[in-house]
Amino acid sequence: MPQMGVSVAEGTVVQWRKQRGDWVQADETICEISTDKIDTEVPSPASGRLVEVLVQVGVTVEVGTTLARIATDARPGQPHSSEDERPPAPAAGAPAPARGAAAVAPAAAARPAPAPAPAPAPGPRSPASRRYSPVVQRIADEHGVDLDEVEGSGRDGRVQKKDVLAWVQAHGGAGAAAVAAGEPTLHTESPYRPGAGASLSGPYAPPEGRPLSRMRQSIGEHMKRSLETAATCTTWIEVDVSRVELARRQLGITALPLIARCTIGALVEYPLLNAWLEGETHTVHEQVNLGIAVSLGEDGLIVPVVRGAQDLSPEGLGRRIRDLARRGRARQLSPDDVRGATFTITNPGQFGSMMATPVIAQPQVAILDVEAIIKRPVVVTDAFGEDAIAIRPMVILGLSWDHRAIDGALAARFLASVKKRVESYEA
Amino acid sequence: MTEMTYLRAISDGLRNEMRDDDRVLLMGEDIGVYGGAFKVTDGFIEEFGADRVMDTPLAESGIVGTAVGAAVVGLRPVCEMQFADFVSCGFDQIINVAGKMYYRQGLPVNITIRLPSGGGFSGGPFHSQNPEAWFMHSPGLKVVAPSTAEDAKGMIIASIRDPNPVIYMEHKNLYRHVKGEVPEGSYETPFRARVAREGNDLVVITYGAMVHTALEATADLDGASIMVLDLRSLVPLDEEAILSAVHDCSKVIIVDEANQTCAAGAQVAALVAERAFEDLDGPVVRVASPDVPIPFSPPLEAAVLPSVERVREACRQLLEY
Amino acid sequence: MATSSTDVQIGPNTPAREHPAAHLTTDDRVGLLRAMLFMRAIEERAMNLYRQGKVPGSFYDGFGQEAVSVGATWAMAAADRLCVLHRDLGAHVVRGVQPAAILSQYMGREAGITSGRDGNVHFGDHRTGCVGMVSMLPDMMLVAAGMAMAFKLRGEQRCALTWFGDGSTSRGDFHEAMNWAGVQQLPVIFILENNQFAYSTPIKQQFAVNPVERAAAYGFPGVSVDGNDVEAMFEATRVARERAICGGGPTLIEAATMRMHGHGAHDDMKYVPKALVEEWREKDPVDRQSARVKELGVDVDALRKEVRAAVDAAAKKALAGPMPDPATATDRLFHPRDAEEILLQDGTAPWSGFSLMRPADRPSR
Repeated sequence: MPQMGVSVAEGTVVQWRKQRGDWVQADETICEISTDKIDTEVPSPASGRLVEVLVQVGVTVEVGTTLARIATDARPGQPHSSEDERPPAPAAGAPAPARGAAAVAPAAAARPAPAPAPAPAPGPRSPASRRYSPVVQRIADEHGVDLDEVEGSGRDGRVQKKDVLAWVQAHGGAGAAAVAAGEPTLHTESPYRPGAGASLSGPYAPPEGRPLSRMRQSIGEHMKRSLETAATCTTWIEVDVSRVELARRQLGITALPLIARCTIGALVEYPLLNAWLEGETHTVHEQVNLGIAVSLGEDGLIVPVVRGAQDLSPEGLGRRIRDLARRGRARQLSPDDVRGATFTITNPGQFGSMMATPVIAQPQVAILDVEAIIKRPVVVTDAFGEDAIAIRPMVILGLSWDHRAIDGALAARFLASVKKRVESYEA
Repeated sequence: MTEMTYLRAISDGLRNEMRDDDRVLLMGEDIGVYGGAFKVTDGFIEEFGADRVMDTPLAESGIVGTAVGAAVVGLRPVCEMQFADFVSCGFDQIINVAGKMYYRQGLPVNITIRLPSGGGFSGGPFHSQNPEAWFMHSPGLKVVAPSTAEDAKGMIIASIRDPNPVIYMEHKNLYRHVKGEVPEGSYETPFRARVAREGNDLVVITYGAMVHTALEATADLDGASIMVLDLRSLVPLDEEAILSAVHDCSKVIIVDEANQTCAAGAQVAALVAERAFEDLDGPVVRVASPDVPIPFSPPLEAAVLPSVERVREACRQLLEY
Repeated sequence: MATSSTDVQIGPNTPAREHPAAHLTTDDRVGLLRAMLFMRAIEERAMNLYRQGKVPGSFYDGFGQEAVSVGATWAMAAADRLCVLHRDLGAHVVRGVQPAAILSQYMGREAGITSGRDGNVHFGDHRTGCVGMVSMLPDMMLVAAGMAMAFKLRGEQRCALTWFGDGSTSRGDFHEAMNWAGVQQLPVIFILENNQFAYSTPIKQQFAVNPVERAAAYGFPGVSVDGNDVEAMFEATRVARERAICGGGPTLIEAATMRMHGHGAHDDMKYVPKALVEEWREKDPVDRQSARVKELGVDVDALRKEVRAAVDAAAKKALAGPMPDPATATDRLFHPRDAEEILLQDGTAPWSGFSLMRPADRPSR
């Protein structure tokens, strides 16, 4: 089990890409794991035959635990461990990884079972015909087709795409046609039982509960721990973002990087907000590593970090945030991308909510929440002291802060500084 | 909808924009009083005046360079190179002044450069070229090449409205040979590919005059179902459409009328090899003109430009693979 | 119709009636000096930074040629447009580009005019009505002609101006631009910055007939001016501008000057005869204008100090600025369709003559 980040202590195997007996190339993905910080693929450390899988899917082990054994003295083309008296699959010179075994995936049960022990190869074929094109191999893989069984209609008896598709259709039943069209196979284990007829007035039978995903559990633990450790308080301030709205249109970016830029300015002014409190150790940071909360939809959230954010312009921040968000959603973040934040901004405002009580990301001492920008009537005073009503885009910034590290007055001053910068923003 | 020739469709598009937007200005040799070497701007000087339908000196560099100047102070010049082949005389202004201005200085250059391109009528080496690859290779330029009358009009309109320099390849052999239904009034054709014919046994990827060659070559080929993908836009290249077509068909023929080496099709082939490897059921095959100047005498020219027969034979071979 | 004696050499011996200073107030004359001092101070500072390794790539300056750009630009109205070349930093200074932005530009910083996308003097701040040059010379002559063409088509009282060197006149674009401008009688001012050398090539190896003498062959006047006299440069340009905006067509102004440094900081100019350099040092444009302005009772030393301090502060600011974010290297290749149109905007036009004009005489958009 690899260590995905300094603070990670354990991981869970989520999927095995190779089965016992499979050939695996060095650097080829052998399995997928999930940790507190990140889900990732594990590349094989060597080429060889996978002889033993020691940790099954769903099991969590400590970092450093052996997951599987690979025989590096094996040769490709040797009999697969599941093949007994069968002749070895001719390698045809190319050490293509034998991806003949079905990939382990939940829906695999629905697909046609992997080919049973094939009869001796159907007639002699020239070596060239035993080379399969990439798409033929892919389709064969997806359906667990033994290509030895497939009659080829191409030149010299080569198996063409349409040949393997026809084979799947003939042997694979309903799912094959959908696959040929590129659609995912329907799950045949449907819960629908025709004729079962739910009674309209019977007792309520609750659905079966399932454990939360690993990421969800991890987020939950972190949040709970934070609330139990820190003396969390929240202060709000209302801010007029007219200038920021104007600037962001001129620069072609969203409001978030501009507000982030102002926040960084305020952090430089009030460095006590840019700090860590770990037990009794209090560290005030000079560099601002800005964590930006990115939603992963129902799966949860992740907080990638913009390092050295104090050096970036709003456009630079905007780009960095967009890049991290994109990679976050595509699950392409590295462990270093999510470490080391000194202050966090969360911005769930696109749905219209006004205020929130965010939870501080440990071991930071504060977190800033930016909710929706809403146009409201506000009182403005002109140079002569005359009041009037104006329509302004307003946002409520919420700062959750740790009372063990700072006081309400400082929190309020910090927020006032952010407000002042935002309201006087000039591009 | 009206049926009209490819040439008339381009005129229509130009006229449309000239009427709608008085910032649009046409510049070229013999486009005013003479109505253009191919009569694309016939009647324009009468309607719009000599100021807006400008007969320029014989100076391609001058046409492009002054167009850049006019564009950055608010006009929308449409330059014509009388034959695409002459664009090399204005190459520097296109590549270095127009193409790089926005990236370097943040100042967009809204010019359109029309290039009557292509061969097939004994034009010889200096009246038959397809130089689009030179401009695809130069960052900051968009390059489009419509093949139908409808697209010719929609794309010239879109090119004029695009705030960046656009090289518009109008294939002169299609001027009067291709007719089609063209919508009235104003519309834009997006800079994306178009499926000219659906299919799933093999796809022919091409653009310009070769779309028509490909359609003819594959109309009735041993009952095979052959897709023809008309790229229409070379920069930006519609990667999604290309990869989707290859995913469906798995066998690819790429046809260029231009000289083989580093033609637009070479870029498509590289894209397919890199991003659609697992969808391939055969090698990526290219049909293009060999690397020689386009000759003048008919039998020589016919031997060089990709013919219906050559495309058909390449498809047949690949289908059998 | 406008001006007389435009074919005559304008210089220190021109009769008083035509004297350049007739159109310049004391403030103008001081302003001209101040702009030249800024150009020189910025370039000197940048040269130091270059030697300290803070300016990447190559560095070019217009040392000894400050009058050519400052004098000419002083005659340009806010709505006029300029294509500025590499020895014409004074044009940017007069149009309103800040020293800190210029130094940031040289150092390839985010705060530079091109945010690091192009280097040294290859910039044009479109907010001041200036177009950034390309290295292929004299391509910008055609761009300037094109801007003038648009002004003429729209019937606007504005002109375009560009500089180019003696060497660049050997290329085809010189001919195409001169011809086009002459045929269409465009409101464009072409300033031939004849500094005697194109890199290491002296003018006698560059052309058989001085380009200024060939202007008539293209259908418009060619005027020779002492390029090291900032007030003469101003006057010649002012006259050319009047001609242009009154429909009188183009002017080719030859600014005779001398390149006092190498082609770039990497060039020790060994090929230039020392005697020639010394001869031109006597005619240094900054020294000459300082002398004039001193005679009017202005404290030139104080002015120099003020400029120096401003450039020092600008250097400090520029040095503190960040480098551009590498992640942005492939951004902004194409302007998005739905984004706002970006055009050249007006620059600063400090000549007193513009504010003294009656509203009806002011150049219209």
